[in-house]
Amino acid sequence: MSLKICVIVAILLILIVPLARAESGKALIENSASFDGKTVTFTGEVIGVFTRGDYAWVNILDNEVAIGVLCRAEDARKVTVIGDYRHVGDTVEAIGTFHMADPQQGGDLDIRADNFTVVAVGQELSRSPSLPLVTFSVVLMIVAIFVAFFLRHIRKEKERIVSWPFH
Amino acid sequence: MAAIYKEFAIIPHFFIASSITFILCNVGIHFLHTKNEMELKHALCFAALVWIFSMLLAAIPFWLSGATGSYLDANFDAMSGFTTTGLTLVRGIDHLSHSINFYRHYLQFVGGMGIIVVSLVILARSEISSVLAFKGEARDLGIRPNIVRTSRVILGIALTFMVLGAAFFAVVGISEGANIGNSIFDGVNYSMAAYSTGGFAPHSQSILFYHSTLYEIVALIIFLIGSFNFTFHYAVLSGKRREIFKNIEIRTMFITLTLSTLIISGILLFSNVYPSGSILFRKAFFQAASAHTTTGFGTIYPSQIANTWPSAALFIMSIIMVLGACANSTGGGIKAIRVGIIAKSFFREIKKALSPKSAVVTEKFHHIEDTPLTETIARGALLIAFGYIFLFALGTTVTTLYGYNMTNSMYETASAVGNVGLSSGITSPAMPALLKVLYIFLMWAGRLEIIAVLVLIGFTILGIRKGIKK
Repeated sequence: MSLKICVIVAILLILIVPLARAESGKALIENSASFDGKTVTFTGEVIGVFTRGDYAWVNILDNEVAIGVLCRAEDARKVTVIGDYRHVGDTVEAIGTFHMADPQQGGDLDIRADNFTVVAVGQELSRSPSLPLVTFSVVLMIVAIFVAFFLRHIRKEKERIVSWPFH
Repeated sequence: MAAIYKEFAIIPHFFIASSITFILCNVGIHFLHTKNEMELKHALCFAALVWIFSMLLAAIPFWLSGATGSYLDANFDAMSGFTTTGLTLVRGIDHLSHSINFYRHYLQFVGGMGIIVVSLVILARSEISSVLAFKGEARDLGIRPNIVRTSRVILGIALTFMVLGAAFFAVVGISEGANIGNSIFDGVNYSMAAYSTGGFAPHSQSILFYHSTLYEIVALIIFLIGSFNFTFHYAVLSGKRREIFKNIEIRTMFITLTLSTLIISGILLFSNVYPSGSILFRKAFFQAASAHTTTGFGTIYPSQIANTWPSAALFIMSIIMVLGACANSTGGGIKAIRVGIIAKSFFREIKKALSPKSAVVTEKFHHIEDTPLTETIARGALLIAFGYIFLFALGTTVTTLYGYNMTNSMYETASAVGNVGLSSGITSPAMPALLKVLYIFLMWAGRLEIIAVLVLIGFTILGIRKGIKK
């Protein structure tokens, strides 16, 4: 019996997944009304995870547009790297129902994921300072201090000269 | 901040910017110093130029760090920051360094109080030139008899609300599942942006990043407080609680915000955009409050609002963005006090027309104290209002000429002129360079309430004429 159920679920998944075309974040937001209630595939970099009990919000960034994906907390726990200044976050694929204004989430635009997979693990980015820029900044600072002292010296000299009436 | 987060690659960018500023200030003090007393026209020009030079210098870290695609884009963001607008051309906000992100919000916080106000607190100079410069920045406060003390009161009020806001945001962030470090950092940034009615956010999703109703409520409270007059804050904090119900600005804002929310909700109800009445009202109220207080936080994506909200709703949003927040607050726009005065003048004229010839119709308004509504006050309010309408018409026309649709152009221009920051999607790094320059001008003129900018233009033309004659 359980084998039969597994086969049916597997067939259904095979049928559903190809129906859900991978959409860009921009397309989803610009055409939110036409995607409302439809199953979509959304792929992108994880930039934020908020676990709340049994479920979690995962913010997925796709080319400057980030969308919140509501998934199971256990799925969200698969995410190991969250994108920020020092990291490229994990690339994930979420398949689920797109909501232009989710009635259960205060009317926010989101995707409620049925399927959530980590496609690629993120990595750390090296952000080393540029040596010419460091040198230039040090030189400029020295120049700035020198200019300040030099101009202050000239002003004081002027004031000293003016204060003597016979000059 | 760069040192705290060990962002050593960013430190040279800030050193370069501060060194250039230091050199230019010293050279300026040396060569442009004069013992002549400053007049009002000089103060207005000075205030207008301070904002331009501040933008040019503050843009350097954005440009050097690669946060923006060009120096022009960096200037756009610096002006947007100082004027507490919130429109942005920064690329990859979600991958920005902590230091650059903090810097963006810090610019809004300084700009919200006024660059000259902050300078007065630091320099502690209380001479006539300081008073005039203070007024040149569209500030006309008499909280304390001394201008430096007044500036300190403004800074004190702002810092108190900013710290309280940051604490609330951080607690809510932690309770919603964010880690402690990020919650505190985001809390400080969101609080600075909310109190200064700025609208920048450390994440590209703005307030939506946290998916939290509580986060929305905290933001709403902080930016509503930020949109009130500093004099009003001081009066209420000094025990004058009745001011909340009597003040013309608070009354005007309450009426216009309620009306606009109801109209927008009505329009959205008929267009079936939202699944339930409560969701519809929540979305309409947050966007309307954000627009009216000139904050610019959104719980709807820019291109989503442009594509799903009916034109009539966007038109109402454009109007309230131009109407703006309270005078002497961190907000922009025509200002509630002027809207109130214009409305009262309008009703006075109707009363006059209906009264017998021998009747003397008078009107007064309450702002800290009762003031008779004179022709001069009404004319002054109308003049500024016409100035804003002119800028709004200019911006909308030019944006439309670039091929954008009328409704979106109106929405985006109103956002720039009113220093709001909500977008219909027009503002992006790909927008035409001339449009970026125009929006920089609109944000600048809007923040200085036009007069200072007009005086500077007049002063420049007179100077050129004199030069040609010589």
